[in-house]
Amino acid sequence: MNEAIASQHSGLKPNDLQGCDLETWIGRVDSLDAISLPPQLAHMLSRDNQMAWLGLQQDGILESLTQLKKQIGADRIGVIMGTSTSSIGRTEEAYTRLLPSGLIREEYRQPEVYSLHAPGAFVSAATGLEGPSMTISTACSSSAKVFASAARWISHGLVDAVFVGGVDSLCMSVLYGFNSLELLSSSICRPFDRRRNGINIGEGCGYAILAREELMPDAEIALLGYGESSDAYHMSHPHPEGKGAVIAMDQALERSQIAANTIDYVNLHGTASQANDRIEAYALAQRFSRHTLASSTKSWTGHTLGAAGILEAVITLQALRHGLLPGTLNCEETDPDIAFGVLTQNVHKPIRNAMSNSFGFGGNNAVLVFGRIND
Amino acid sequence: MTDIDIAGVGVWSEYFSNWDEFCSVLAGGTAPQVTPLRPELIPAKERRRAPLGVKLAVEVMDQACRMSGLEPDKIATVFASVYGDMETTDYMCRTLDAAPRTVSPTRFHNSVHNAATGNWAIATRSHHSTNAISAFLHSTPMAFLEAAIQTIEEDLPVLVCVQELVSPAAAKPIYDSEQPFATALLLTPPACCASPLASVRFAVRNEKSDYPEAPQVPGADSSHNLGARLLPLLAALATPGTAALQLPVSEHSSLSLAVNVPAV
Repeated sequence: MNEAIASQHSGLKPNDLQGCDLETWIGRVDSLDAISLPPQLAHMLSRDNQMAWLGLQQDGILESLTQLKKQIGADRIGVIMGTSTSSIGRTEEAYTRLLPSGLIREEYRQPEVYSLHAPGAFVSAATGLEGPSMTISTACSSSAKVFASAARWISHGLVDAVFVGGVDSLCMSVLYGFNSLELLSSSICRPFDRRRNGINIGEGCGYAILAREELMPDAEIALLGYGESSDAYHMSHPHPEGKGAVIAMDQALERSQIAANTIDYVNLHGTASQANDRIEAYALAQRFSRHTLASSTKSWTGHTLGAAGILEAVITLQALRHGLLPGTLNCEETDPDIAFGVLTQNVHKPIRNAMSNSFGFGGNNAVLVFGRIND
Repeated sequence: MTDIDIAGVGVWSEYFSNWDEFCSVLAGGTAPQVTPLRPELIPAKERRRAPLGVKLAVEVMDQACRMSGLEPDKIATVFASVYGDMETTDYMCRTLDAAPRTVSPTRFHNSVHNAATGNWAIATRSHHSTNAISAFLHSTPMAFLEAAIQTIEEDLPVLVCVQELVSPAAAKPIYDSEQPFATALLLTPPACCASPLASVRFAVRNEKSDYPEAPQVPGADSSHNLGARLLPLLAALATPGTAALQLPVSEHSSLSLAVNVPAV
């Protein structure tokens, strides 16, 4: 991921998803369906769980968890996953080959996979974590909200750490669904560009370990605050003045006990839809000055929906760690209607505090603030 | 041990359409003719297009809120369901198989798990947090716990709604639910509401538990409808006095509730 960001190499390509004839671009993970699950997890087979499993093999996250389990015990670590569509891809497939009786075939009779909790159940089983396990599904803010719930669980003393994450995989529901709303771009997506004409759907997965401060004396970065709000406006169109977005950003800043002008970087929701980008920039302009640099990374990954929150939280954490702020790839000519200038080129700059925005259907908003500590 | 209050409750099934009718059915009586589901909060035009899951959730949430006397725009929400809106999932999967380009945009945007709480926020003009969760067979107690923790940590009333719908014919071998059921509880920090329905002391214990035996209530068969697993708590709320309950929140832990309902 760091290499792709540094070299401005996008993972998007023209749609070649089997069974989908839409003219759009997608962020598809190569050979995902060839990934085999270990025998004890095989009963939970789905593209989404294959994505979750692939994610668990990255960056030594399982080794870090093993270490933490030794330190505090598996029963003191909870699991909160975020997803938009969970394993619905598996149900879609089941419906293409129903039995003559109209029933789902034997191999698709997977209760955990049919549940919205598929990712949480899968990750708990795969990691052996024994704390409470929950899946949040609030469309495109899902895996940002996992941080808010996890922070409350820890603060309340329910657990001492939470393994948070998010996963979504390409499926017909979202491709044809966003097509019905006329929100898919027929070309590569261009967040904040005057020529932007819609989103590209991607698939992805990410994880983070959130732990009580005392357990991580050497941690470089902390979750400083979070904000959660509702637009109370429309199921699939953002509030025209970004009211919910502003409330969530204000809440996150207030909880962080820092002022807006100390936020160095914002990873924007920036989907490349006409409405989102215009309204998000308008919301940002109500609170931030030019000191704050902001960009969307959707043109690398596509919009990974329920995984976007965690993916962009991880990108934000990397920006805090390495001081490489991604520019908005494919934004060549900023839309004059955009009220807040976005970064178009990568910038090297050490930063202290950063924010990540996630907004979803139902007017569901979540904003996270991370900051460097112990410097 | 943490204390919260329950300031309001709402219920709906095909056999009772509000709390008073539920109490009467629970006591062995029969409910009067159940009124058709018609949540007044949703404008008529939207109501016609809203899926049953949204109408049902908004109805019981509104009931709980009205019982408490609190303003609906001053509270956060947590919605939970094991399998979500199976009727909409069935529609989506059938349409995608037959004619994918004909998917309805309205049905698609209402296919998200947070459709009920999103529509609630729109109807009540509430800008507070709305959430939608699942925890498989532990969804119902987990939703209560998530909302209770949020109530305390954010010092905010939180409306929790659990719901399970009728499973579509194709999915019956996975899950066989014959009747829709939903209930909502409005949780408040202690002393937030002048005369709460009940006070509850809750704690999570590191011990496995099964669901307690639920009373037999027509329209809320807890062996088939997983949302009805909250019946023992609803039964406790219907009876003045104290009750102790233990509900599973995971394979390894349980939620213990000490409920105190003041005599009216």
